[in-house]
This record gives sequence, C-alpha cells and structure tokens, in this order.
Amino acid sequence: MNCAEATALLSAHADGETGGLRGYSIRRHLRACRACASRHEELLAQRAQIRAEVQRHSAPPELRARVLATIDAVRASAASGTPARHTNDRWRWLSGGAMAGCAATVLAWVVGTAVLDWRAGEDLALQAVTSHVRATVGDQLIQVASSDQHTVKPWLSARLDYSPPVRDLANEGYTLIGARLDALEQRPVATLVYRYRKHTIDVFVRPEPTLSPSSPPRAVRGFNVAHATGSGMDWLAVSDVEPGILSEFVLRLARPDASP
Amino acid sequence: MADVSRFEALVLPHLDAAYNLARWLARDPHDAEDVVQDACVRALRYVGSLHGANPRAWFLAIVRNAFYDWLGRNRPAEIVDAYEDTIEAAADQAVVDPQQSAIRSAELRTLSDAMAALPLQFREVLVLRELEDLSYKEIARVADIPVGTVMSRLARARSLLRRSPTLQAIGGRFAGSGR
Repeated sequence: MNCAEATALLSAHADGETGGLRGYSIRRHLRACRACASRHEELLAQRAQIRAEVQRHSAPPELRARVLATIDAVRASAASGTPARHTNDRWRWLSGGAMAGCAATVLAWVVGTAVLDWRAGEDLALQAVTSHVRATVGDQLIQVASSDQHTVKPWLSARLDYSPPVRDLANEGYTLIGARLDALEQRPVATLVYRYRKHTIDVFVRPEPTLSPSSPPRAVRGFNVAHATGSGMDWLAVSDVEPGILSEFVLRLARPDASP
Repeated sequence: MADVSRFEALVLPHLDAAYNLARWLARDPHDAEDVVQDACVRALRYVGSLHGANPRAWFLAIVRNAFYDWLGRNRPAEIVDAYEDTIEAAADQAVVDPQQSAIRSAELRTLSDAMAALPLQFREVLVLRELEDLSYKEIARVADIPVGTVMSRLARARSLLRRSPTLQAIGGRFAGSGR
C-alpha cells in the first residue's frame, strides 16, 4: 500500500472501519511511513477532542411535552372505538370514534390547564387544537381535497345544516387545499384546510357566534388559536403559524370586505 | 393503538438523538423543534413498518428526511446539488476564500462553531459519526448514500475541520503533532 491509498483510508481506519486485508495493509503501511502515522494520530486526537468538547443537544422539555400531547391525542382517538352517537346517522362514517376521542382528550387536557379568565373559550380552543392534532396525525386532514371553493362549498353544504362561506386566498399566500367535517362542542362543524408556506391552517366555521366578537390569539399546547366573527359565522383558526399572521388571516376570512 | 405503544417503546427514547441531529442540521433551536415534531408525526405513522432495524437509525433517517423537506420549503438556497464535485467545490471555496476565512475566524471560536460551519453534507455525516456513534453502515442508511461515500465524506469533513481557520487560531491542537 502506498501513501495515496493509505490517505484515502486513514479516516476510516481511525473509526475502526477497516477490517480484513485492508486493515492489515494499512497497519503495515503505518508502521513504515512516518507521515501517514502522524496523520493517523492527528485523526485520533481530533476524534477525542470532538467527543470531549462538542455538545450533544438534548430535546427541550417543551418539545417533549408537545410530542407526548400528540401521542395522547392519537391514543385517545384510537382507544374509543365507539362511533359518535350524538349526531345523525350520516355522520357515522367519521372513522375512529373521533368525536368521543376528542372529548376524552379535551377532558385530560383541561385538567392540566390553568383555568383562564374565559373558560368556555379555552375549552373550545382546546377542542379545536385537539381536532387539529388528530387530523394532522391520523391521516384525516382532508376529506374533500380541492383548491376550488365551488367544489368545497357544496360538499360541506350537503353534509351540514348550514352553508359556510368558502374563500380561496391563494393570491395572498393562503391556499385552500380542502375541507373535512369535525365536531366542536358536540356539534358537527365545517373545517376548511389551508396551506400557508409550510404550515397547515385549520379553520373551524360555525353559524351563530358563541364567543364575543373578537379575542386575541392564544397559544394552546404549542399551537396558536385565533378567533373572529363575521359574515354571520364564527371562525376559529388553529395552526403553528405565528399568532399575528393567524389573526390577520382569520379576520380576512371572516370579513372579506374590510380593507386589509 | 399498538403503534402508539411501539412508538413510545422504540422511538421516543431517541428524542434527544433526533433533536441533536435536527439542531446540528438546522443550526437553530426552534427550527430543530419543528423538524422533530414533524418527524415524530411521520414516525407515528410508519412505526408499524419498523422491524429488526436499529430504531435509532430508523428514526434519525426520518428526522433527516423531515429536515430536508423543511429545508426545501424554508431555505431552498441551502440545498447544494448532490453531486460530489459540486459539494467538494463548495467546500473548497468556503475554506480557501480569504475573505470568508477572515469572517469565519472572527466569528468562530470553538470546535463546535467550526463543526457548525461545515457544509451540510459533511456536517451531517460527522454528527452521525461523532455525536451519535453510528457505524458507517448505519450512516449510509440514514443519509441514503453508499458506504464508500460515507467514508470519503467523513475523511473530507475531518480534513476541512483540520484546516478550519478557527482551529488554527486556537493553536492547532491536533495539527501536525504526531509522533
């Protein structure tokens, strides 16, 4: 083995990844060649120094908590095999007992959540976040996939006793990618799904606003929740996009005529 | 349900490894969290197909894929063409360009900084080897490259690190002391 051949293998040799004949040849070369032997020792020293000085990062507690919350949501929705009973027969095809699972998870989360000044709104935000997580994880994000509002709106109208306004804001960066049916407070709700950059935004649209006209965005379990009323509907948006953008977006949906 | 238990038993114990890799690749704590969160969702979905493989390497491969997807969406300019010579050229330029070197030596003071400054393709194999202790075979699987490429990239990464202005500035502790 010559120096050129040895040089190509030195790093692997320092890693103990040269076996058999190759290992034998390089060991023999190192005994004979001072330059290569010296380079080999440098490599060993470099490895030792990296292991001594370079930090291996640990997962932050918030990340761990978010992952655990995701697991809880999946487990809760999987554990409840019973279909939702409080809705019409035509809802039964909603798989996985999603609604019952939602209720169980929300209960678990509420217990661990400080009671805020506005408990009803907080429960609702938690439900919305739970639905968002479950849909994202459980491959149920979209039941009708279309960026065409004229496809999405009739699909929803046919399955709900109200007809939610469906708007595509693609020219502002929010692309409609579809919709699904969910449940909030034991009632079926239309969920519009938008894509903004890499983020998924779920927008829950219901008639007869139950919350006060506007509320500041809040963070729930690592997601942001923004609320608006307008066009005769109640709009609740859940995503991991930053709160300012989410608020603006949900307002644009609720009040398309207001100047931006 | 069974999959959730499998995830908890096989994948969750490697959350630190996942975060460490994501953090070194993205070089930002928040971006790393996003990447790992995404990777966990994918791992939950596919954990049923994890048989026999080393779960840590399996999970790290998912983290790496999630990172590259994230990179494509957020910093597409950082994706270097995967051809070796392009990567080599980029690496040479980063080391040789005197202006760049001056900036680097001013900013980088530790070995960690020097490692973080390595081009992505070299950084990832080095982190998998030195911080995660994966074998060449496992690195090949995680990074989706042949074992021979693992070997040459690691050799190149180490030689870049050795020539880093940072380390020369702090005395070249492992430069040319052999005996």
